[in-house]
Amino acid sequence: MADKNLPTDGRFTRLFDHFKREWQIYAMLLPTIVWFIVFLYKPMYGLQIAFKDYSIFRGVAGSPWIGIEHFQTLFGNDQFLRAVSNTIKISALNLLFGFPAPIILALMFNEILHATYKRTAQTIVYLPHFISSVIIAGIVITAFSPTLGIVNIILGWFGLDSIYFLTQPQWFRPIFVGTGIWQEAGFGSIVFLAAIAGVNPSLYESAVVDGANRWQMMWKITIPSILPTILIMLIIRIGNVMEVSFELVILLYQPATYETADVVNTWIYRQGLQSGQYDLAAAGGLFNAVVAFVLVMTANTLSRRFSRTSLW
Amino acid sequence: MRKLSLMAALLAGSAMSTPVLADGHLQIADEPLELTIQMNHRAYPIYEEDWPVEQQARAWTNIHLKDATVGANMRTDSENTGRTEALNLMLASGNIPDIVGSSRIKDFVNQFGPEGAFVPLNDLIAEHAPNIAAYYAERPDIAAAVKAADGQMYYIPYLPDGKYGRAYWLRTDWLDALGLEVPETVEDYENVLRAFKTQDPNGNGLDDEVPFFARQWPELIRLVTLWDGRAHGSDTYHDFLVEDGKIGHGYVGEGYREGIKNLARWYAEGLIDAEIFTRGSSARDFLLSENLGGSTHDWFASTSGYNSLSSEIDGFEFKAFLPPASPSGRRIEEHRRILVKPDGWAIGHTNEHQVETIKYFDFWFTEEGRRLANFGVEGQHYDMIDGKPIFKQEFLDAGPVNRSLYQVGSQLQGRGYFQDYNYEIQWSNEFALEGIALYDTGDYLIPDFLGVAFNADEQKVYDRTWSTIRDYMLERQQGWILGNGDVEADWDGYIAQLESLGWSELMGVMQTAYDRQYGG
Repeated sequence: MADKNLPTDGRFTRLFDHFKREWQIYAMLLPTIVWFIVFLYKPMYGLQIAFKDYSIFRGVAGSPWIGIEHFQTLFGNDQFLRAVSNTIKISALNLLFGFPAPIILALMFNEILHATYKRTAQTIVYLPHFISSVIIAGIVITAFSPTLGIVNIILGWFGLDSIYFLTQPQWFRPIFVGTGIWQEAGFGSIVFLAAIAGVNPSLYESAVVDGANRWQMMWKITIPSILPTILIMLIIRIGNVMEVSFELVILLYQPATYETADVVNTWIYRQGLQSGQYDLAAAGGLFNAVVAFVLVMTANTLSRRFSRTSLW
Repeated sequence: MRKLSLMAALLAGSAMSTPVLADGHLQIADEPLELTIQMNHRAYPIYEEDWPVEQQARAWTNIHLKDATVGANMRTDSENTGRTEALNLMLASGNIPDIVGSSRIKDFVNQFGPEGAFVPLNDLIAEHAPNIAAYYAERPDIAAAVKAADGQMYYIPYLPDGKYGRAYWLRTDWLDALGLEVPETVEDYENVLRAFKTQDPNGNGLDDEVPFFARQWPELIRLVTLWDGRAHGSDTYHDFLVEDGKIGHGYVGEGYREGIKNLARWYAEGLIDAEIFTRGSSARDFLLSENLGGSTHDWFASTSGYNSLSSEIDGFEFKAFLPPASPSGRRIEEHRRILVKPDGWAIGHTNEHQVETIKYFDFWFTEEGRRLANFGVEGQHYDMIDGKPIFKQEFLDAGPVNRSLYQVGSQLQGRGYFQDYNYEIQWSNEFALEGIALYDTGDYLIPDFLGVAFNADEQKVYDRTWSTIRDYMLERQQGWILGNGDVEADWDGYIAQLESLGWSELMGVMQTAYDRQYGG
């Protein structure tokens, strides 16, 4: 609010004074701003090829406009629509099972009292995060192999027929989501562990005095205290709904499993990059970004209204 | 033509003489001329100025190639997308070197050449490249195949030599152990595979044999030829095919339906590797060296090499056999060495020495140039014996010969040249030569589809429909073999779905482009 005693441009004078006083902080911000401009804002210029008949040789500016033809192509293509639906389904499963996993893991770690055991267990669950997707895919393909895979060997012990999991459409999503949880749940729990560490110990002390058991303390103190963190993570997660980790999909899918496995980004990869249709790929990417933007806006608004926690 | 005969006369005189010709008849520029080059291939990511072959070419022609490769990318996959990406990156950077050489260059230059990125070559060839012109005069079919939709050539291709590529292979020692004959028909073949599955030919007491396997799963699909179907119309998987001037596709044929039905039956029975779709490129290596694999369809040269396993596996013998006859009695080998590859080199539009460049391209079609491109440098890598280039023994002994040749700068597929099959015969092992001789006893090869070039409107139809159709075809194909659906029951729906994805429209533009290109 502008001070009534100042002239009408007082707000700008104060802004100038503020910059003058705090310039070091803004200088520290600068690299991040430059990074955003160079890697996120400047490439937006190229988004226009989604509305152009793009030729690499003619360049972005030299290619002719063709309106929304690429979007018509996209939405007239059954495989693209199926990919959108697959993306949403895989993301929904990821959200349903993958999002709570690190929270549960963090709560469990919090209850471990033996320090060495806790550290060892944490290290083991963090490890898969640092393995490249190519290796992860190799492990998954081997584990689910119909002849030598551990999963089918175990099924064999119970007299069950071996299943060629990676070519069965109905098995793709469970395997993919499960792999994602195995790979990321441990590392994802770090954020929640940090939040738990920030809970005021006096709350627990008074709860003990009041005779609360550990279970009650978890439900009444820990979870409500880390709820803002959970909600922020949820909003970020929802913003990434369209970004199924497509390198892992590419490594695991087959034409036989396209039915359930083909997501928007893999479809864009095949159509756009392998076939050199960059304009169509850009249109698909733009669609992805718009959906993600709407989702994150919605999630943020809902979160602000119901819990007063929001990203902005 | 006068120039050609002069060259031939010179050659005849010099063939047995000193390695380096000092008379300068191959010289193109008076002063050393530097040209920049982009060259990216899975086996050589950039162009090396110290390759002995490059240095010899430099000494003869006075043209120096300087590497200017952008986006070097050694990724290998069945589609060879790494090369296309490097080319796209080069184009997007805005700087096109004087010469651009790559595998998978044909569609690229035929699309961007007419837009102005590459120099049209027809007139340059006619005026300045007598050896290339002479080659095309002899092979009008190949001249037609490399042209863009506007009738211009934009690249000089790599032209493979030799007829055979892949063949059917079998553990003949297992046949002997089980008292079986080499299969003559598809029925025999099935019985052999079943015997491999059930009669424990490796004798370890376990049911672990894998009767049919393949490094690339589309090789399994090629077996539909055993029921008079067609799979791949060229050495590109899932490609269109041409029969009597008509473009078609294997995956809509009756024989294909019959073949897939039988392959599904084979798969269910365990005659085909259960992991055929995921085992990947190490399948042959693993299954043969573990004494598990029975039969495959793969290259003569590399597959015959596995017979050295006989030192580890008692009696190991992996031999080529003729394509089994289909129920109607036809025997075809669908794979062959294609006559012209979509690989080679082109001239960038900013090149200021186009005449010298086309003369340089022509140099590789002279007798000396061709020998240099095929065998390396005389005296270093080969000697002339009785007028023929023969590799030095130490060169043959220095590891895989293909790799050694790449390392000295010869047999580069990013270079436009005419391969000489004699280079390969010298290091093919007895099993490969025996197999080739066997395949030469009959007429099993069929013509390849050499590709078409689209104009802009046709390209749009192709881009819009083909990837989608192809994805759908492969999805159903794998599904049927794995038992997720029945090809007989699904067939009408499959054809109808292809139609709704634009099949007729696609075949229409393919045929139009084909007729324009080959004058059909």
